[in-house]
Amino acid sequence: MLPGRSAAGTGLVDTDVHQAVHDLLPYLPLQWRERWATTGLGTGTGYSNPRGVLRRDTVPPQGGPPASDPLFLLSDHLDRYGIDYAVLTGPFVLPLGTDPDYLNAVASAVNDATIDGWLGVSARFRGSILINADDPSAAVAEIHRLGERPDLVQVLMATTTRQPCGQRAYHPIYAAAAEHDLPVALHPGAEGAGSASPPTPVGYPSRYLEWHNVLPLTAMAQLNSLVCEGVFELFPTLRVVLVEAGLSWLPQLMWRMDKNYKALRDTAPWLIRLPSEYVTEHVRLTTQPLEEPGRPEHLEQILGMMDAAHTVMFSSDYPHWDNDNPQLLFRRLDPALRARIMGGTAAELYGLSTPPPQESLPPHSGAPTSATSTLAEEQE
Amino acid sequence: MSLHAVARLDDIPARGPLMVRVGALEIGLYRVQGEVVAWRNRCPHMAAPVCRGVVTGTRLPSAVYRYQLGRDGEILQCPWHGWEFDLLSGEHLASGSAARLRGYPVEVVDGVVHLRLAVSPVRS
Repeated sequence: MLPGRSAAGTGLVDTDVHQAVHDLLPYLPLQWRERWATTGLGTGTGYSNPRGVLRRDTVPPQGGPPASDPLFLLSDHLDRYGIDYAVLTGPFVLPLGTDPDYLNAVASAVNDATIDGWLGVSARFRGSILINADDPSAAVAEIHRLGERPDLVQVLMATTTRQPCGQRAYHPIYAAAAEHDLPVALHPGAEGAGSASPPTPVGYPSRYLEWHNVLPLTAMAQLNSLVCEGVFELFPTLRVVLVEAGLSWLPQLMWRMDKNYKALRDTAPWLIRLPSEYVTEHVRLTTQPLEEPGRPEHLEQILGMMDAAHTVMFSSDYPHWDNDNPQLLFRRLDPALRARIMGGTAAELYGLSTPPPQESLPPHSGAPTSATSTLAEEQE
Repeated sequence: MSLHAVARLDDIPARGPLMVRVGALEIGLYRVQGEVVAWRNRCPHMAAPVCRGVVTGTRLPSAVYRYQLGRDGEILQCPWHGWEFDLLSGEHLASGSAARLRGYPVEVVDGVVHLRLAVSPVRS
């Protein structure tokens, strides 16, 4: 039994771990290699954390960038915290660019590099199918190319899209995901990047701090669109994961959608349930970066407003700066609810209900020193 | 409870209410599918004068991006928030809502509309 596995048999699943991929060049078609070598993605948000986004302590002892060594990641993160499974969410999501052919090639390259470099290393890793959502036909092709692999457990796209993502241009993506029984995860990072809209409805905030504060705006806009456009009526088995978007805004949006639905249901007559009912059945949210109110009971009250036992899944965001430590989260919470959040709901969603098999892996080190206790002191 | 004459049947318009007052109670009489119904002029949501709302139809529940008009003349739309009420049943059309209009039993005898009420009516 792993340290994180509870007596009830519910494991610990980290739903947002960012693996690095060493070198995409071998996975890119020849015509794109020079561009990748010289410019990479080529478009950023213009916002950067002055301390860096990648934790310094996650640099593998054998070298390479953070989260580039699967064996070290197992030691440094999964073993350290007793995490059974990590759902890998990639080195980046794709910004909105101007050349869909290039972005499509990068998406496929990331997927193939992840399969080769990560998924074969340990059965505790699960991958995501990165897509370029703003070229839906290419995204659908990528989902079909990889959708039957059991170790790829979701479709991953940037939360930022060119139009609200519930609109019908994107429906083929959800049809393909549903066909393969894959959730669709929306991950931030592309807000305001490339040719996207500004990262807030009032334009460009001045600094990274502000940009990061309101990343949930994008998720709110997308959830609103997905529900009201009837995506969950069209695709009744579809599940959507809002990664890294926070939690506390959800009750407010559900209440507002329900209130307006009661007044204006005839403008979306395909909605035959309260919007909040679609949300709690079809949508999952990951915890990190978990809100830290001055009075922790306030967060517990909010969890009670959103059916957290079925909608909330633990995530760390390793190896990023704003990560959360699973040993310190939800310690006051009802143990049954905590078990659902830390692993139960993710196990159901991703088919991870059985413990990972015992593996004989090459020796890997990087075991924790005093990091855990030091963190505990800092947080408290 | 007793039966009170409140209006002549012929005075109720084909569409829209004939308002009657019963003490402090305002009631709208409507014709729907050949029947007369009586609803209190108070929206169960925010106490708006619901009978001031338009009598209309609605978009029926439908497949995504399909629009199907129906039930013309059978839906009362509150003048405040636009909540839609079924004039036959008084029920709010939104799924998951338990709200409904407060109604009164109607009997028509010799062309005169009677309501079963606890107080005496006063014609508005």
